[in-house]
Amino acid sequence: MEKVEVRAEQTKPNYLNNGYSVWSWLFTKDHKRIAIMYLISISVIFLIGGIYAAGIRLELLTPQSDLFETGTYNKVFTHHGIIMVFLFLIPAIPAVLGNFLIPIMIGARDLAFPRINLLSLYIYWLGSAIILWALLQGGVDTGWTFYTPYSTTFSNTYVVATGLGIFINGFSSILTGLNFIVTIHTMRAPGMTWFRLPLFVWAHYATSLVMILGTPVVAITILLVALERIARIGIFDPTIGGDPILFQHLFWFYSHPAVYIMILPSMGVISELISNFSRKRIFGYEFIAFSSIAIAVFGFLVWGHHMFVSGQSIYAGLVFSILTMIVAVPSAIKVFNWTATLYKGQVSYDTPMLYALGFIGLFLIGGLTGLFLGAMGMNVHLTDTYFVVAHFHYVMVGGTVLGYLGGLHYWWPKMTGKLYSEFWGKISAMLVFIGFNLTFFPQFILGYMGMPRRYAAYPPELQVLNIFSTAGASVLGVGLLLPVIYLVHSLVWGKKAPDNPWLLPGLEWRTSSPPPTENFEQTPVVTWEAYDFSDENGLDVEKVKKELATV
Amino acid sequence: MIQQSNNWVPLFPEKASSFAWQVDALYFYLIAISAFFTVIVVAAIFYFAIKYREKEKFQNGAEIHGSLLLETTWTAIPFLLSMTIFLGGAIVYYNQYRPPKDAMEIYVVGKQWMWKFQHPTGQREINELHVPVNRRIKLIMTSEDVIHDLYVPAFRTKADAVPGRYTTLWFEATKPGKYHLYCAEYCGLNHSGMIGWVYVMEQKDYENWLAGNVSSQTPAQAGRELFEAKLGCASCHQQTDQGRGPKLAGLFGKQVKLTNGQTVVADEEYIRNSILNPQGQIVEGYQPIMPTFKGQVTEEQLVALVEYIKSLGNETASMSK
Amino acid sequence: MADTHKTHHVKGLQHQFDDMQQQQESATIGMWMFLVQEIMFFGGLFTAYLVYRSRYPMAFAAGSNHLDAFWGGLNTLVLIVSSLTMALTVYYAQKSNRAMQVVMILLTMFFGLVFLGVKVIEYSDKYNHGLIPVTGWNKKTSKQVVALPFETKAEAKETHDSHKEKPYVNPNGDFQWNYGGEDLVMLAKEKGWLTEAEKIGYFDPITKEFDPKRFENKVRIFYWLYFAMTGLHALHMVVGIIIMTWLLWKAWQGSFSAEYYSPVEISGLYWHFVDIVWIFLFPLLYLLGRHFLH
Repeated sequence: MEKVEVRAEQTKPNYLNNGYSVWSWLFTKDHKRIAIMYLISISVIFLIGGIYAAGIRLELLTPQSDLFETGTYNKVFTHHGIIMVFLFLIPAIPAVLGNFLIPIMIGARDLAFPRINLLSLYIYWLGSAIILWALLQGGVDTGWTFYTPYSTTFSNTYVVATGLGIFINGFSSILTGLNFIVTIHTMRAPGMTWFRLPLFVWAHYATSLVMILGTPVVAITILLVALERIARIGIFDPTIGGDPILFQHLFWFYSHPAVYIMILPSMGVISELISNFSRKRIFGYEFIAFSSIAIAVFGFLVWGHHMFVSGQSIYAGLVFSILTMIVAVPSAIKVFNWTATLYKGQVSYDTPMLYALGFIGLFLIGGLTGLFLGAMGMNVHLTDTYFVVAHFHYVMVGGTVLGYLGGLHYWWPKMTGKLYSEFWGKISAMLVFIGFNLTFFPQFILGYMGMPRRYAAYPPELQVLNIFSTAGASVLGVGLLLPVIYLVHSLVWGKKAPDNPWLLPGLEWRTSSPPPTENFEQTPVVTWEAYDFSDENGLDVEKVKKELATV
Repeated sequence: MIQQSNNWVPLFPEKASSFAWQVDALYFYLIAISAFFTVIVVAAIFYFAIKYREKEKFQNGAEIHGSLLLETTWTAIPFLLSMTIFLGGAIVYYNQYRPPKDAMEIYVVGKQWMWKFQHPTGQREINELHVPVNRRIKLIMTSEDVIHDLYVPAFRTKADAVPGRYTTLWFEATKPGKYHLYCAEYCGLNHSGMIGWVYVMEQKDYENWLAGNVSSQTPAQAGRELFEAKLGCASCHQQTDQGRGPKLAGLFGKQVKLTNGQTVVADEEYIRNSILNPQGQIVEGYQPIMPTFKGQVTEEQLVALVEYIKSLGNETASMSK
Repeated sequence: MADTHKTHHVKGLQHQFDDMQQQQESATIGMWMFLVQEIMFFGGLFTAYLVYRSRYPMAFAAGSNHLDAFWGGLNTLVLIVSSLTMALTVYYAQKSNRAMQVVMILLTMFFGLVFLGVKVIEYSDKYNHGLIPVTGWNKKTSKQVVALPFETKAEAKETHDSHKEKPYVNPNGDFQWNYGGEDLVMLAKEKGWLTEAEKIGYFDPITKEFDPKRFENKVRIFYWLYFAMTGLHALHMVVGIIIMTWLLWKAWQGSFSAEYYSPVEISGLYWHFVDIVWIFLFPLLYLLGRHFLH
């Protein structure tokens, strides 16, 4: 990749041609290089998680457990969950896109703590390496939720090693969150007030709050599980006085907000895409910004809705249910505001926008089916069935992955200085959308039919729907593999990207593509509000148009 | 296999409990709300996307910041609707989780990977539950090892079985038939095998079943079934001497040395006493770990067990010849 | 370009910041955020403590009464004084007084080490009496030996029937609870203090008799919470002393002055935080439950 940069007549210094040695990458303090290393690591992780997903769908093609032994299948879905949740979904958008863009978007030279940023990458590598090592040694079969006492007392797999990896990875997430909060507080360029921040930054601010407040709790919880396994201290083991339900409380206290760690940054990306590709101010800026904070705050108060059937008192259940309904409202506000942003816009349909529109549709379904699960009486029937599986995939894949891909396409020219094939981009966005719906919509029906999740074998009358789902997964798989091909292709053979390919007002489009190491030649002074497309905001429109004409 | 399987694509599960219709009603209400919002938003997106598509490159959209009225509206309406959903969910939940006082109580123990049921009259079953129709049944559940979850989709209800505490689940079946029974909380290796059937029977059939009229097995066959599956004796009393309990093949009629130094002959009385009061007669070389089965086996079942253990003696005797 | 580069010449200023004020503000907010996550980290353990203490108050009282409030109190005092010396370190850094900075940092480190020393005494005492809730981590002895007197006990202030203390036999190094509790439980039963969990948790389900083994399991929960919480806290103290060592070196070199003292300030924040955690641990572990004795 770097060699090509040299061959091109690019003489302008940028963060990519600022040193080519391995050390210049491994010991960099540049947030952009760190983001690129995260991007590569996370892509590899996503591929591994995807292979496990393929294993699950192939096994479920037939009602019997014939492709895998049940024990193997249990490991396959556990590995899929652990890899996707802890190693992909949680870091994906913050560590790659957030890391790359937050300093640029607020007009800073770097994050507040560049060394801590690099440290968090190393922690991520260490944690991931331990987890992958544990999986290679024989893996773990507890499900990604590690429910006690199965995980503490009964499972004969690598629970402690995996737990250690997750524990370590948690600190990567905490440090990233800490870095973002401090950066957003103190490093904003002159004139960049809180209400001029792009919504992507607001979303990351909310995400970082959740990272700092939630991650330590799951870290200590996983540590306790490990202690219980090693030393039988008796906290979760009912035979010596412990309480397995306490684990669920501690676990979901983090892991429900963790869902918002995954979805909030994606919502930030979508706000950017919808506004910029409508060439219009976002509708209700403050409402979108504060709904992110509201989601982050209320997200901490709803963990008990995972436990409606575990013998929790009815009154506790009522509180959790009503708060769950309330946390749905800010998400609804966002969807309506995005839709309203299109009104009287100048809507164009480049690949990122297709992902954004797909996101709205899928997130809508994911969010609404969350209401099914939040309604207690409905939850009793649906919890631990495929309805839940379908619901959280609509939110996690339909939400987070689409947002991630949309953002990656949108900022790809900025990050790499190259243009990808718009044709293949659109094809892949369509395939992802269609394949995704075909994979997961049948699972709502399967769930209502009562098919429990984590079953290697299921009643034969449910096979037809499972075949639909597996067929859809293969389409989805193709849709997700395509970007790997054409994006990598663009690195070598792609056209050189202009600095501002869509003539957009954001700060990241006012520096070169790829940006110089210190992001801007001069510290920018911000005098305009976010998404202000009027011509008086200092952008040299004629110059940009001229440059675009040459591409 | 069951009634709905004649549909090529099954869309809806059977409904066989008194509150199933409430869950379904809530389901349809939620689908209606979801469809309403999905149609509005998707239609709006398509309409705007087509009507306001880019006419000229780099033309800017209208200068609109937002609207407090609209924001208030689309905050208030979803909020009010979500409260109706909450209320509906709470009412249905209350009906599902408040067991009536006059219910017939059945004890349930989850164990990796089987469901054990015990009827008030003492009958025990594994992975099968026979219940009378139109009768309120309350399941009192616990677990011997990890968390399990008893789930009958046709009844639209489930509850966790948690080790170290009792949880309850109630239902009133409204339609005779055979319904899926699942473990819904992941419990390890054979989780997907921890399944079974609920048989809902007319009251008369149920009574016949209780009386054991449905059985057409010989006592020794019935005993074998009890020994190997229903009571789980075979997990300790194995074919070899390696088990936690003594090997029983060829035992009948032999002399047995006990830990207290006595020697007794293994006759019918001895076997019966060993099942009902295991601690009284510990065979030398074994730990006193066998639980009592007093109250868990009926006299009929005892007879069957004794017959089965007798037959084991004959088999080995004939084999050695 | 010129704009960004001229700032590089200020001593101690990192390239990403415009000026010292921005850098200092970032460091302070960063430390506060770090402490917030620390609170949540300890919060998981405090939650576990609250849950089990509200469930089994008698077992917790029995376990708690076996910790010596004298040593706990001494450590509390030591940490409060160390907080003072830490605060003075910041004060002298702001005054650019190098000598006093060094003295105060040394004093702070000294008090930190005293604290850890006391913890070593307490922990080894638990080791000698089989009170570490992990099998094999206690003193192993297959012969009956007379139990060691509690080194950390100024006087016997134990549960009512402590005089029934059994000799110490422990071939596997198990957790043992030899210090009664039955009369405490019976007293509580009489007065109707037992919680629902205790009514089931301490008694044999069949005979309805007090079951010492079951009681022991609940005391064990207290002890592992004791070790988890104080252990994690002690780990933070160790990290604190490492930070102090680094600070000492920098202060010796005269790095800190009225213009640049934010490392001292944020290290101080950390040190105070660790002290404050102890201020919560001390009453929860050592004192709560003593009133059941009187």
